[in-house]
Amino acid sequence: MSTTTMPPAPEVTRPPADGDRPWAAVLALARFEARELLLNIPVLVLLVLYLGYTAYGLVAAEQDGMTDYPVLQNADRASQTAPQLVALAVLLCVNHAVLRSRRHGTDRHFGVLPLQPWRRTLAHALSAVPLAGLVAVVVGAEFAWAASKPGAVGHGSLFELVVAPLSVLLAGVVGVLLARLIGSAFAAPLFVVGLYVLLAVFSIATSGSDPHWLRWLSPVVPESGGDPLPSGLLGRPAAWHALYLVGLTVALLCGAVTASGRRTRTVAVVTAAALAATAAGIAGQSPGDSRDLAAARETASASPETVESCTVRGSVTYCAFPEWSGRTADWAAVVERVQHLAGDRRDRLTVRQRVEARYGLTSDAALTALSGPGQVTVGTAWGGNRIPEFAVGVASVLVAGDEQAASAVCDARAVTITWLALAAQADPMSAFVHVRLDDRTEGSGLVLAPTDPLGMSAGETAMVRALLAKPREVVSAAVRAHWAELTSPKTSLARVAQLLDVKAPEKEDSRDACEA
Amino acid sequence: MIGPLLRPTARMLPRAALTAGVALGLLVAALPRLLPDTESQLFGLALLRATALAFALGLAFLLDDPARPTTETVPTGQPVRTWLRAALALPAAALGWCAALLLVPQAARPPLGDVTAEAAALTATALALAAAAARRTSETQPGRIAVQALPVLVVVGLLLPERWGLFVAPGSPEWDAAHHRWAAVLLVALVVWTASVREPIRRRTLRNGFGMGTLRP
Repeated sequence: MSTTTMPPAPEVTRPPADGDRPWAAVLALARFEARELLLNIPVLVLLVLYLGYTAYGLVAAEQDGMTDYPVLQNADRASQTAPQLVALAVLLCVNHAVLRSRRHGTDRHFGVLPLQPWRRTLAHALSAVPLAGLVAVVVGAEFAWAASKPGAVGHGSLFELVVAPLSVLLAGVVGVLLARLIGSAFAAPLFVVGLYVLLAVFSIATSGSDPHWLRWLSPVVPESGGDPLPSGLLGRPAAWHALYLVGLTVALLCGAVTASGRRTRTVAVVTAAALAATAAGIAGQSPGDSRDLAAARETASASPETVESCTVRGSVTYCAFPEWSGRTADWAAVVERVQHLAGDRRDRLTVRQRVEARYGLTSDAALTALSGPGQVTVGTAWGGNRIPEFAVGVASVLVAGDEQAASAVCDARAVTITWLALAAQADPMSAFVHVRLDDRTEGSGLVLAPTDPLGMSAGETAMVRALLAKPREVVSAAVRAHWAELTSPKTSLARVAQLLDVKAPEKEDSRDACEA
Repeated sequence: MIGPLLRPTARMLPRAALTAGVALGLLVAALPRLLPDTESQLFGLALLRATALAFALGLAFLLDDPARPTTETVPTGQPVRTWLRAALALPAAALGWCAALLLVPQAARPPLGDVTAEAAALTATALALAAAAARRTSETQPGRIAVQALPVLVVVGLLLPERWGLFVAPGSPEWDAAHHRWAAVLLVALVVWTASVREPIRRRTLRNGFGMGTLRP
């Protein structure tokens, strides 16, 4: 007889112990899903598009000149729109990843694994975190690049910078929630189309006049188009909006966790807190521009001298909004070059920075001409075409006396004004092309200035071209010698041509450009 | 041979996805009737494009067929079944599109022929993507791949510079040139569709070349 003894079976199930780390599995799964996410074709394509577009913005757009003088309270929200490409890809692909087990029929196997479905849901939501982090790094790098420019002015806002990464996280959570609610692959793309239509409905149908609270429900509210405003006049509820995004993300995540079967008190409490945060964010961002803000905008637009600080350089006083005081030297360089060409004139000038803030951030309202003698307007944007435009403003005030008189110039003085402004530029001919509204250096047309444009006839245009071809010193000497006659409205174009020694136009052409 | 196949094929169509796409499309097209002051051509065009995209996304699931592995080897093979599915679904989709065009008010209607060409090109692209996915992989539900690729292509189309743009505004000088490009898209999609409907003898999978496994669409 022999007895068979069985060794005791190894224990395969045991109650949870203190040493267990249930979150380790969640993190491991999140890491795995994040890597899977990066291998999805939509994520790859749209990520490359986003990075390429951003790199293009950083490197290739440098030639424009405008990027050398960024205004940081605009630069922070300029980086919000492009990351929506990544958000779109994350929404589609996270949704796809959550549905993978259902597609492959492995859902039922998960029932025997220690990782509960709600932790799996959480891991899928967490898989969007590395991409959100990447977007945060890119957005931060863009802003740091702008802030490191010597010509940068203003203050950025951290709350504007976090919008892009938060919207990527939100997209991931929406993808998870959709997959938990509708277990089919058509839910996410159709949701995206529906969302696009909602946004299109509110942006096109109301052409920007939609109520403030409705516009701010959108994850990203870029609000661009106008000239930069001082940061105190922005009126963007950026902090409330960031709170709204965080609250919404957590609330939707709690919804997804609940939908995957986790209905505990903790989830209920977190959901309630998240909903409260969302509601607080909506409540905070919904009221439109406050009365104080409207009053401050009114003051800055109508009487900027009350809020500006002034510095004197030579015979010229430069008045700028406090954030722009560092830009005085750039303006002074232009003013001094124009003064030098006009025969080192020492007229008393006041360069006044102005902005039209009453119509908000999106409207590009024109500035009215100043009537005070020797007052020159300068806007809040600088670099690129703004430099020759400002030079036109300075030259027209030097010649005509004040901006209102300059806007009525409809005679041969336009030649002197345009030559003074353009000869002060590094590349006069290309500046001439850009400063003309029609981008041509022939025929009649309008020359842009910080306030009202200046009309030029075809004959005057041809004369300016001829003057720009001559050596600067020769023309400058002639201008100095005949200043009184050149700045008189009575002098004819033929006489100006004689004084400056260029060919006069054959016939006195029609002045339709400036009478229009 | 086609006659006996008709009823089972019609029963096998992925109705949920097709209905969802068409329903969303019609809902979108009906928006100007529901909202006040929205009768601009730009708005009508944006909505009809969204409708076309919703239709295309729904139709992308047309080739989803859980029984695909079992019908690959029968004498009446996949190509016949695929063409049959298209022949059954496309007239219904065309009817839905006509309804969508009628739902947009007269004042908001962009040039209908051109918009229909855009819708046809989008739908053909969706079907071509699904057919190509079905040919390349052993996937029984190629629709899920197509609906991931189609939005990406649309986004790329939206980002194209004006000179090569597809989604141009009504009244733009590029309108006619853009619709020649749409015709080219339609043609390419039809060629890809026709070439992909033929079942391959052996499949090649897409490898990403880094030894990290298969690149997943």
